[in-house]
Amino acid sequence: MENALGQVGYQSTMIIIVFVVLGLGIAALFAALFLPTRWRLPYSMEFLFVGLLLVMVWYGDLRSTEIFEAYQAPLNEEGVLEVGYEPGDGEFDRVIRVLAFQWGFAFINEEDEISRNAAIVEPGERVLFGLFANDVIHGFNIPAAGITAEFEPGAERNVWIRAPEEPGRYLIQCLNYCGVGHSQMKAWLVVLDPNAEDNEEGGA
Amino acid sequence: MASAHDAERMGATPHWEPEDIIGKMTLSTLLFSNDYRHIAIKGMLTSVVMLGLGGLMAVLFRTELAYPGIQILDARPYMSLMTLHGMFMVFGFIIPFVVSIMYYMMPKILGTEQLLWARGAQWSYWLLILAAVLLIISRPDFTWTFYPPMSLRVGGSLVWMGYIAVLLVAISEFLAGAVLLKNGMAAAKRIGYSKLPLMGWGAISEGILLIGSTPILGLVGIVMYTDWLEVTALFDPSRGGDVMTFMFMFWFYGHPAVYLPLMPAVAIVYTLLPRFLGRPIWSYWSAVSAFAILTVLAFIVYPHHFQPAENVSGPLQRAVQILTLAIFIPSTLHVFNWIATLWSDKIPDSARRAVPFKFIIASIFFLMYGGVTAYVNAQIATDSDFVHNTYFVPAHFHAMFVGFMANMAMAGIYYLYPYFTGRMYNQGLGNTHFWFWQIGIFTKVTMMYLLGFNYFPRWVVDYLDLPQWSIPQLILTGAAYLIGLGFILFVYNIMRSANRGVTVSGDPWEIKGGHDAGATKPVPAE
Repeated sequence: MENALGQVGYQSTMIIIVFVVLGLGIAALFAALFLPTRWRLPYSMEFLFVGLLLVMVWYGDLRSTEIFEAYQAPLNEEGVLEVGYEPGDGEFDRVIRVLAFQWGFAFINEEDEISRNAAIVEPGERVLFGLFANDVIHGFNIPAAGITAEFEPGAERNVWIRAPEEPGRYLIQCLNYCGVGHSQMKAWLVVLDPNAEDNEEGGA
Repeated sequence: MASAHDAERMGATPHWEPEDIIGKMTLSTLLFSNDYRHIAIKGMLTSVVMLGLGGLMAVLFRTELAYPGIQILDARPYMSLMTLHGMFMVFGFIIPFVVSIMYYMMPKILGTEQLLWARGAQWSYWLLILAAVLLIISRPDFTWTFYPPMSLRVGGSLVWMGYIAVLLVAISEFLAGAVLLKNGMAAAKRIGYSKLPLMGWGAISEGILLIGSTPILGLVGIVMYTDWLEVTALFDPSRGGDVMTFMFMFWFYGHPAVYLPLMPAVAIVYTLLPRFLGRPIWSYWSAVSAFAILTVLAFIVYPHHFQPAENVSGPLQRAVQILTLAIFIPSTLHVFNWIATLWSDKIPDSARRAVPFKFIIASIFFLMYGGVTAYVNAQIATDSDFVHNTYFVPAHFHAMFVGFMANMAMAGIYYLYPYFTGRMYNQGLGNTHFWFWQIGIFTKVTMMYLLGFNYFPRWVVDYLDLPQWSIPQLILTGAAYLIGLGFILFVYNIMRSANRGVTVSGDPWEIKGGHDAGATKPVPAE
């Protein structure tokens, strides 16, 4: 999935690395079991291997930190998180506050209009979600936008996404067990069609 | 490379005579005997019962999950089953099972001849039984991580029993840890650290993990109870508490907790591989270092279980990420060591035939299959994308818990079986069990990875009818049935063979065929 920074391949790169390492391991295991050739490994092999792993650790940390910092940067922009921030001036095109409760979401837009089941955005917009809850720990996940966040009562958490370019309805769901209604805690990210005359609001 | 005392310190020698111990056990020895074999057999068989219960729960809720919509279970019974499944499998089945196998093996392999502090093991057992009974009565539905304030507000009037059960589990595990540490240290004192069999290092690591982590779990149980009674409000934000306090406390236990079954399982691999192959482990000190690094890392990486928030950010967050990625290194040292041992010389035909050896190989496979994805889990960027609280996490820990640790528990019980029954299990049934399990576990883990990659949320009874969700769920349910079937075969096998199996004497695992004359011979059976 494309994430907020517009990167598509990052997760796949990591998954590929994982499967290459797994493939090596399985190949070695099968060779050890079924190859007629026996091989007494010298101890130096292990140090070489640990060196290789250290490179992997270094690369994973580097990429992850790079991406996470790039993601956090717009949130650190002056005034973004204050009341009266004018979307469109700076990093974000839209600010939506999200109240998660047992069991549902309430989306509050800049005009203080509340929707219980839909966050309405334009295609390709950069949308800031201010997440908060008063009851229990909830999760916030938009598969189409590549974001999952967990947030606890009393603390506000800010995440942002780049809305999909394709108009339509996209799932928003809770990922953290929050009580028996957890599995019903869903809403929609509605991406409006800019060409359509009257947009209908997505009903869940 | 192999020095003189290698055969001894690798624990490669057979130590017991096949004997019908279980047939001679009476009710009173079963309940109260402090003989190490009696305690261990009791622990193992109880764990098999717990596995049966936990598995039955899994089969029930997997049946519910086979199709979208709600068919047989409503949300609350579903969550109770899921909570009890988690608690029974982790606290009741997997940790006690591998620890019991260690109880059985340590006295002979470490040369202490008896389980020191056996009364601690006895108390540990009975407290765990009490905890299990309390859990069954109270049927909590707050998942095994019981995050407050949710966990303070669900469940009926009996939910306090769940918190007491948590406290009892903590005390039980603490006692088990003390027993393991005592036995490991006593052996080290007697034969020296450089000659200590790897099982001894496993016992020391496991003991440190248990003793270091469980007190805080006990405290969490107590505070949950007093919070629920509204005497305190440490974890409840609506009354001035803080969820993060819980998170830090719980996961300080919670991360070592996932290594609690890992360490004994690893120690059992180190003990059984030389036994089946007739040669020492490739590198003794690599194994010891890996045990030590893993024990240290277990205590400091726990903040990776909650997502980056204000409390875990900046340099701390990055340090946790790096250290979590670094867990790769000791785990790989273990696997590398095992593969190098397998590769270094011919694998005897007797090993290839032995069911426990097959389970060991499958365990090594699953340790890799579950372990590599930790690379993705550990990175904050991927975690905030698709890992956190999707099925990717259960996929990772089911590959480890079931694929590695449960397979190793099975290897352990099949290995010990002739020693405590005096008879051999049925080979055909054992093989069938093996294949049912491996195919089932592989399918299950793969489907879970796939679902996680498709953002399937954890802990849901019902889900949207999307093809990328419903098809893997259906296959996953099929895999669960296959694992269940394998388990039934296993139980039938051990019950039937205890009376009708082939009687064995001498060394049931004697090395035959394909073994080079020049290689280090194990000390023959006494």
